[in-house]
Amino acid sequence: MNKPKYLYKSEDEFKVYSFYSEGIKGVIKKLVVFSHTGENNIYNLGFGDYDPKTEQIDDETITNNGDSLKVLATVASTVYAFTEKYPDALVFATGSNGIRTRLYRMGIANNLEDIKEDFEVYGLRVDNNIWEEFCIGIDYEAFIVKRKNINLQNDNAR
Amino acid sequence: MTTLDKLNNSKLPIIVIDKNLEQFRDKELFPKKMEKAKEILKKSGLPKFKK
Repeated sequence: MNKPKYLYKSEDEFKVYSFYSEGIKGVIKKLVVFSHTGENNIYNLGFGDYDPKTEQIDDETITNNGDSLKVLATVASTVYAFTEKYPDALVFATGSNGIRTRLYRMGIANNLEDIKEDFEVYGLRVDNNIWEEFCIGIDYEAFIVKRKNINLQNDNAR
Repeated sequence: MTTLDKLNNSKLPIIVIDKNLEQFRDKELFPKKMEKAKEILKKSGLPKFKK
């Protein structure tokens, strides 16, 4: 995932992350949260814009800040960070609507070769509701990733 | 090399701790999405993992 990313922060349990998107619509605070689903070790990835005035998170709007690839690369980096701390966690992700789900699919597809080095990646097919290994060009409703390589090497040292 | 350069050129996450984010921990911030996740997991289960 050697792509431009934003620097991000986390609390000390590494379940909540924040960063600032900077683009044509200004500076927007983003939150990424890994929430336990109540099912074994499955965590739901939540991601959206934080409005400090309302203290609410909007995970339905497409921000169109002109930096979606950088934002997705940053979210992907938080998945690395989360699974460093919780290596047995399964990370479930789906969009709050079809457009957001396609955005996630694009983010995975654009980085699939890199992601597959370190994660098993599965998609839930829209047409038959069956989980399969993620393939580019298939329409998926949801995604699950499972970490397979825990001890990452610094790419610069390779 | 700056911290941002290191982050951009590596898979290794670089994390700064921010105590203010603790306020969001253990809150259900995405209730609709969580409900959707639970429905999908109930209906479709989990993939067959390799290991």
